[in-house]
Amino acid sequence: MRPLTLRRLLLQCFALLVILFVVVVIAIKFGAVPVSLYALGRDLWNVLLHQRTNISSDYVLIIQNIRLPRILLGIMVGASLSVAGTSFQALLRNPLADPYVLGVSSGAGLGAILALIVEPHVTLSPVFAALLTPLGAFLGAAATVTVVYLLGRREGQIDSTTLLLGGVITASFISAIIMFLMSTLTGNLRGLSFWLMGDLSTPLQKSVYWFLGIGFLGASGAIYTTASDLNLLLAGEKEAMHLGVDVPRVRLVVYIAASLLTGLAVSVSGAIGYVGLIVPHVMRLIFGSDHRTLLPTAAIGGAIAVVFADTLARTVVAPNELAVGAVTAVVGAPLFIYLLRRRLA
Amino acid sequence: MSGLAKQLFQTVTFAAATLLLGTAPFRAQSTSLSSSPSPVYREVTDETGRSVRIPQPVRRIVSLAPSLTETVYALGLQDRLVGDTEFCDYPPDAQKKTKVGGAINPSLEQIAALHPDLVLVTKGLNRLETVHALDSLGISSYATDPHTVNDIIASSKKLANLLGVPDAGASVAAEMEHQLAALQQRLASSPAKRVLFVVWHQPLISVGKHTFIADALRYAGAVSIVDAEQDWPQVSLEEAARLQPDYLAFAASHSEASPPGLEALSTLPGWRIMEAVANRRYAVISDAVNRPAPRIVSAIEELARQLHPELFAEKPGNLNENSVKEKMEKEKTGKDKDEKTPPPLIQPPHLAFSLLSGALRGSDAVPGGRACVR
Repeated sequence: MRPLTLRRLLLQCFALLVILFVVVVIAIKFGAVPVSLYALGRDLWNVLLHQRTNISSDYVLIIQNIRLPRILLGIMVGASLSVAGTSFQALLRNPLADPYVLGVSSGAGLGAILALIVEPHVTLSPVFAALLTPLGAFLGAAATVTVVYLLGRREGQIDSTTLLLGGVITASFISAIIMFLMSTLTGNLRGLSFWLMGDLSTPLQKSVYWFLGIGFLGASGAIYTTASDLNLLLAGEKEAMHLGVDVPRVRLVVYIAASLLTGLAVSVSGAIGYVGLIVPHVMRLIFGSDHRTLLPTAAIGGAIAVVFADTLARTVVAPNELAVGAVTAVVGAPLFIYLLRRRLA
Repeated sequence: MSGLAKQLFQTVTFAAATLLLGTAPFRAQSTSLSSSPSPVYREVTDETGRSVRIPQPVRRIVSLAPSLTETVYALGLQDRLVGDTEFCDYPPDAQKKTKVGGAINPSLEQIAALHPDLVLVTKGLNRLETVHALDSLGISSYATDPHTVNDIIASSKKLANLLGVPDAGASVAAEMEHQLAALQQRLASSPAKRVLFVVWHQPLISVGKHTFIADALRYAGAVSIVDAEQDWPQVSLEEAARLQPDYLAFAASHSEASPPGLEALSTLPGWRIMEAVANRRYAVISDAVNRPAPRIVSAIEELARQLHPELFAEKPGNLNENSVKEKMEKEKTGKDKDEKTPPPLIQPPHLAFSLLSGALRGSDAVPGGRACVR
């Protein structure tokens, strides 16, 4: 492991941020409604000069009120999923761990659906009502992580194969419950099937963006404080304990924070699969497996991946839209097989 | 700095600024720019109980459901329709409108770019999320939610009032009511046929009792054998066999939902335990029956004719002489009927259905379709 310098970390993050900005520009430019680069540049220029009367109404409607909020959401969801994936991979010492594969996304989805079902039957203040779905998603995610973790333990140590199988089984069990709920309940659950595939098309209340942003910064900040411990954990739980790592504390912090990140992401976008799997891997290949660099680079990488995938989802069959989860799965599933085979070889 | 680099730089700087500042400062402006200087709003409650503000007059309409598109045409407001979905295929002119995607996943930006005064949605098809999204963009939407044929009539009238053409609404409603009354008179003496309405065949999906389709069956002198609370219940073949419908009813020509050719149906495992399948007692009607729009009356009449042919063969003249004669001719000449009718616009995947839907298209323009064809 090369020694970490702040300079190198900043340089890496800067390089990724440049890529993110390019992807954001592409995402702003392309969509179902064609926007010429000239018109875009002119409008942006007027925005910068605060000459509001010269800004075209199409710009305000389409770029500012539709595309930008969606890009912002993609950035936050991608970063959350990717950091959660990185954390799960370190904690479970399994490179194939990912909120989706481990069933955590399904658990969060079930929690969110239960919250949606409960919502009409309880009277809450509007502020708390808006938080009910994220809260349900978080509880669902946390419960699933606990169950999968318990299933994956063998003689006090985490067993990779058992853990993955536990995750897959849990995910399909939860999916079955979701299917049951959807086929028995009446009312507006039709949107759920689309949502379960991963969907960023719905603009959200402004307060939700703040909530997401603060939640992301808090949870990933908490995970980042354990970055050095996560490096040592890669050697094994016992070994890390001998090296002075407070393993139970690290485990608790990372579990809660990663579940919170998954819950937040799922509650606003449904289950977008494989982002938490692929992005940390690619970042590990490029920048090495030091979690002090891996966590921030994975966050930016996740944002790039989701914004890019969502741009494809918006444009490939325009004016129809694909679920962004379908795009990430098409890329992610083959890569998952590749990683699995390489690991077995 | 080259032009492109400059634009990129601006976009990037702006993106950063927007991420920091949020989008609030410009929101107020979007309304002032996108519509006329001093828009007058009318506050109404839509059929889902939402209170909505709708600019008056409504000059630009986007429809997110085929039924609403048909209703707009039936009211003669097609010139105000600036966008619809890819499923809006009737009347054929509706296919030429700007498409905003499907009903479930329309493109918000495509809708916004059309600057509609009003977006029409229906609870049975569109997603609540779409409505919320439109709300957040300051685009007015109005939702219909018909559960009976009477609801469809009332809904068309309400929509006509909302769009400022109450007379057109009244005449469409009167036409529908007149045709239904005539039909009821004809069917009064005959007991209702027990029908299994097949929405989808694998798995077998039928209609629940709170759907407008179940109600439409009642108007056609039929009763659905399925009595479910859910709108689109999955029915086991065993249950269907236990209930033994007199007829199976299908909506044809909607390429996505077409069952296999009717010939193939009796070869599907398990289906022959229904006597109606073994004896090929099928009623195939226009997919207008799937759409809560004025044209549903013509589908109801088609179904009634197929279920109760004796009532229509006896005394032609009361309803519509031409169509009855045409119908009788068809029954006599059998397969030759298809040669007279124009080919279907969209070729359904199965031959049996394309033949049938071709025949139906020819006849359905006559009785109930009149209000829609302009």
